[in-house]
Amino acid sequence: MSDEEHHFESKADAGASKTYPQQAGTIRKNGYIVIKGRPCKVVEVSTSKTGKHGHAKCHFVGIDIFNAKKLEDIVPSSHNCDVPHVNRTDYQLIDISEDGFVSLLTENGNTKDDLRLPTDDSLLTQIKDGFGEGKDLVVSVMSAMGEEQICALKDIGPK
Amino acid sequence: MQNFFNGRPEDLVHFQSTMQTIEHACSSIQMHTNPAVAEATILSLRQSPQLYQTCKFILENSQVANARFQAAAAIRDVAIREWGILSADDKRSLVSFCLCFVIQHASSPDAYVQGKVSAVGAQLMKRGWLDFMESEQEAFLSEVQMAVLGNHGVAAQFIGINFLESMVSEFSPATSTAMGLPREFHEQCRASLELHYLKKFYCWAQEAAFSVTNKVVECDSSVLEVKVCDAALRLMFQIMNWDFQLSKNAHERAINVFSSGLRNYVVLLKKSECILVQPGSSWRDVLISSGHIGWLLSLYGTLRQKSSFDTYWLDSPFAVSARQLIIQLCSLTGTIFPSDNGQMQELHLVQMLSGIIQWIHPPDIISAAIENGKSESELLDGCRVLLYIATLTTPMVFDKLLKSISPLGTLSLLSSLTCEVVKARMAENTKEETWSWYARDILLDTWTTILQPPDIGKDAELPPEGIRASACVFNLIVESELKDASASAFDDGDDSGLPQASISAMDERLSSYALLARAAVDVTIPLLTKLFSERFTLLYHGRGTSDPTCTLEELYSLLLITGHVLADDGEGETPLVPEALQAHFVDILEAKQHPVVVLSCSIIKFAEQSLDPETRAAYFSPRLMEAVIWFLARWSDTYLMPLEGGRQSDGDCQHESQPSKKALLSFFGEHNQGKLVLDIIVKISMTTLVSYPGETQLQELTCCLLLPAVVRRKNVCAHLVTLDSWHNLANAFANGRSLFSLTATHQRSLAENMIRSAAGMRNSEASNQYVRDLMGQMTSYLVDISSDSNLKSIAQQPDAILSVSCLLERLRGAARASQPRTQKAIFEMGISVMKPILTLLEIYKHESAVVYMLLKFVVDWVDGQIVFLEAKDTTIVVSFCMQLLQLYSSHNIGKISLSLSSSLLSEERTEKYKDLRALLQLLKNLCSKDLVDFSSDSSEAERTDIAQVVYLGLHIVTPLISLELLKYPKLCRDYFELLSHMLEVYPEKVAQLNNEAFAHIVGTLDFGIHHQDTEIVNMCLRALNVLASYHYKERGAGKEGLGSHAAGMMDQGGKWQEGILSRFLQALLQLLLFEDYSTELVSSAADALFPLILCEQGLYQRLGHELIERQMNPQLKSRLANALQCLTSSNELSSTLDRINSQKFRKNLYAFLGEVRGFLRTM
Repeated sequence: MSDEEHHFESKADAGASKTYPQQAGTIRKNGYIVIKGRPCKVVEVSTSKTGKHGHAKCHFVGIDIFNAKKLEDIVPSSHNCDVPHVNRTDYQLIDISEDGFVSLLTENGNTKDDLRLPTDDSLLTQIKDGFGEGKDLVVSVMSAMGEEQICALKDIGPK
Repeated sequence: MQNFFNGRPEDLVHFQSTMQTIEHACSSIQMHTNPAVAEATILSLRQSPQLYQTCKFILENSQVANARFQAAAAIRDVAIREWGILSADDKRSLVSFCLCFVIQHASSPDAYVQGKVSAVGAQLMKRGWLDFMESEQEAFLSEVQMAVLGNHGVAAQFIGINFLESMVSEFSPATSTAMGLPREFHEQCRASLELHYLKKFYCWAQEAAFSVTNKVVECDSSVLEVKVCDAALRLMFQIMNWDFQLSKNAHERAINVFSSGLRNYVVLLKKSECILVQPGSSWRDVLISSGHIGWLLSLYGTLRQKSSFDTYWLDSPFAVSARQLIIQLCSLTGTIFPSDNGQMQELHLVQMLSGIIQWIHPPDIISAAIENGKSESELLDGCRVLLYIATLTTPMVFDKLLKSISPLGTLSLLSSLTCEVVKARMAENTKEETWSWYARDILLDTWTTILQPPDIGKDAELPPEGIRASACVFNLIVESELKDASASAFDDGDDSGLPQASISAMDERLSSYALLARAAVDVTIPLLTKLFSERFTLLYHGRGTSDPTCTLEELYSLLLITGHVLADDGEGETPLVPEALQAHFVDILEAKQHPVVVLSCSIIKFAEQSLDPETRAAYFSPRLMEAVIWFLARWSDTYLMPLEGGRQSDGDCQHESQPSKKALLSFFGEHNQGKLVLDIIVKISMTTLVSYPGETQLQELTCCLLLPAVVRRKNVCAHLVTLDSWHNLANAFANGRSLFSLTATHQRSLAENMIRSAAGMRNSEASNQYVRDLMGQMTSYLVDISSDSNLKSIAQQPDAILSVSCLLERLRGAARASQPRTQKAIFEMGISVMKPILTLLEIYKHESAVVYMLLKFVVDWVDGQIVFLEAKDTTIVVSFCMQLLQLYSSHNIGKISLSLSSSLLSEERTEKYKDLRALLQLLKNLCSKDLVDFSSDSSEAERTDIAQVVYLGLHIVTPLISLELLKYPKLCRDYFELLSHMLEVYPEKVAQLNNEAFAHIVGTLDFGIHHQDTEIVNMCLRALNVLASYHYKERGAGKEGLGSHAAGMMDQGGKWQEGILSRFLQALLQLLLFEDYSTELVSSAADALFPLILCEQGLYQRLGHELIERQMNPQLKSRLANALQCLTSSNELSSTLDRINSQKFRKNLYAFLGEVRGFLRTM
């Protein structure tokens, strides 16, 4: 019983530390925002008023940075919104395993093996082909609110 | 008509079959079965060998109207294309065929075919106009004249008039069809028609209209004669729309002679289009002294009377064309009237006015009739007539006009008309654009025209009736605006958009209101004061008990109106107190009682109450605050600490001695209430920035309008920097976090304004110290965070990103405010963050928004600093910029972004585009060092070679610019601007480029000359011109020139690479001869082609030879050979590169292209 409660709390805590409150009026296009519990990139902001002499409110259109779903939200512009802590890390790609996981070299020399290849076909082939040709590939991994995903690829070239 | 084809039987069979194919194709297009094939069939007609005969056959024989239409179109296209190689006989016969055809088939039911053929005839006539002899032109047109005058029956009369209409529209450059000929051709045609025929056409139209008048008046409106009359009126209207040029010169000379009661035409024209017609003195007999106008007015009057029961008649085509012509005739001016002090023009205007008075008088009855369903078009046209007359006359004359025929003055009529319209508008209560909305706009324009302060030395005195009339109209307008406001107070604010946008949309209307108010300040200023105080009282008394929203909205609109009445928009200059406000109220001695002071003080006192939190919460809504801020900004630009005695130098002693004026000007001056008001303004600004969280529109107005207004003038700044309130703001800005809640752009402009206020410091030392104090905290924060050992994990946290972005925006704002006085401190500021910037660029390489801010800061900082820098500092800055470019490039080259969402991907591309544009701007800013340089030392040795640096920069940036990205027009333009600038200014550096860099440049130039944007092609051609000229001149002097780049070389694969010049010579010839391009490009292409030919003589000869050899037809072959010969030899062209030769070559190229392009492109 108490275990369950504790579990619940710690989950809430973890979520909170991964976001940061920021006044809605200052969030702009290309920034990040949490909408309906999902980390999103803001692609559109518009402001309007509640009646002519009311206060301003912001209308956000965001795209979920992990599953690309479009989400919308309206917030009074003096209120705070949650902004996710989005982290990006570069790793060198050292292996692709048969079951769809990649093996990455971290900065301190360890390997990170818990990341799946992206699901999109064309991206998948770009990584696989590049790796197959023996290119030195660096992948950028984006993480936010406990999820992570490969988001960019760069050929640092055989130098 | 004779048969056009010499009817050989096999031809007939052929024609018959072609006709059937075309007919079939046309009907299948109509039924939409296989349209692509059908279209191809119809287009193939243009290639058929006996095209003209075939088409004529189809026109004469086909029963399918569409087929005839297509045949006419084919004749037009092919004839225009091949005009140069047609024999004189062919040309004539084509034109006369079209003419005869339309006249003969005048009563054919398919009017659109006739219309097309007559348009084709008109176009061919124009194409050949300069080739035909005068007698030939006359012969054609006399045929038309016969038809127009009715010799071939009414139907042909109609067709004839239509033909003239097409001709006039073809010959008028604004409406002519493109024929691939230089503008000069169109100009010559225009001049010739204006000189010889335009007046004749008008007379023919008059006669045609006369000839049918009786019929028109007697019969009902469906007879053919009405159509003829309508067409004739339309033609006359069109001729009156002609842009008369011949009379212009004579006219300008005549300006001084007649300028008494009539305004000159240099009047600011308002929204309603108002073109003055100046046909010149030769038209006097036709238009003025012939009684033509009387006839027209009475014809319209008679028919109007006759059709008074027909509600639709007012909108019938005939009535519309007649009114259009009448309006057009109202705007006659210039030498068509003799120089008799404007008497004849006045008589003319009186005649017009008496003709149209029924349209608008009496206003109340007409307005009521329109509300009951009468058409409003006559009233609107009547308003337009008033506008035109107002444009041509002074207020005095304007008012006098009507008095000669009625007890009323024109101004009184205008006023009662405006009042009726405003009342109708109030009664309507809709937002839609109804008749009263249009009428109000036209009438307001009329008022603006009358009341606009004239240029110095012109007489624009308003008669006393005018003053009363304006007061009355203004009164009603304010009433209607207030009613609108309170009615719309509860509307949803969603559609209102930016306040700035809605204010500027209303701006024009509001400035007409202001003119009206200023015409009668004695009444209107006290009125405004009264309206304000009523509403203030309402607010205070109703506090807490009733909903103030309606009152707030009324105050909002009163503030906008009052702002316009009291002050003009300075647009960056210092606007003076409007003359009307300065000159009136002579009997006021005490400044405090000056009505303008009273009004201003009451508004400022009201605004000051927003400082109290309770009052603020009770009724200072964000929207009302927006109006307050807007008003304060506009007001303080004019009234706050005005430069006293600014106008004293005019020697305007009489005005100067006027105590009331002095009182008004000095009341808010530096030594009076000015400082107090300034303090209030700063406090209010602080309040809007801090106490209205998230109200971005309000904060935008504060940062971008009000604060700039107070820091714009140095004498105001001097007081500003001594104020405690300003220190509080500066302190909050430099050390607090409360202002972090502003959005990024507002951070930037706030910083800009704070730095600008340094102008008020005693000396440059103090200014620099002030800047250091302001920015020191921020730069040290950036230095600290970038040297933090834990930077990597801190940096990605949202709050760190927010702080860094805010500070970067502020630095950028400060950099934009660079001025000689504060340059030193801002330079130090930039130097101190150079290292942090590179670190942050590395850390935030995935955070595109931050990257963009970093780049933009550097761009603006370099822009502000570069011209001042000494050699040593320049080197530091330049090498920093190169490091930045390198770093950016290393992050982005070869990077592939993966994203599931296409919209995120395209966002990313847009971000990339913006980054690259910033980098190009950075290079451009560096470039400017070579053009403008204020640094003191001139030792060549230490100097950075800017050109070298920029080429290096280009070399770094170019690989990042993919062809995909060049699809962004702005980036494309920026890139080519920079590239062509570099090539133009430093051609010698090109020779030193390595092959790889050079290949990049050549590749993009090649891309550029095939671009759709003519501006870009132009830039590339200019660059080519410079490169080739440079090479040619250097070689002439026995030097290298472009060296191996020009000579060609083996590439790595052992393949021969052609030199740049020969490559572009071929490309350019190919473009000029065989591809589509705008004719505007020919002259710059000529400038590029000439030096290219000189450089590559041998190749040019060979290409010319090949071109001739390829030509099969011997006749064309010799023509081509001749033309090529002429291109390089006629007009005594020599082989030196100078201005005169270039001009000659341009001429030659025009002639050459006119001669050969037609057939080269079709073969």
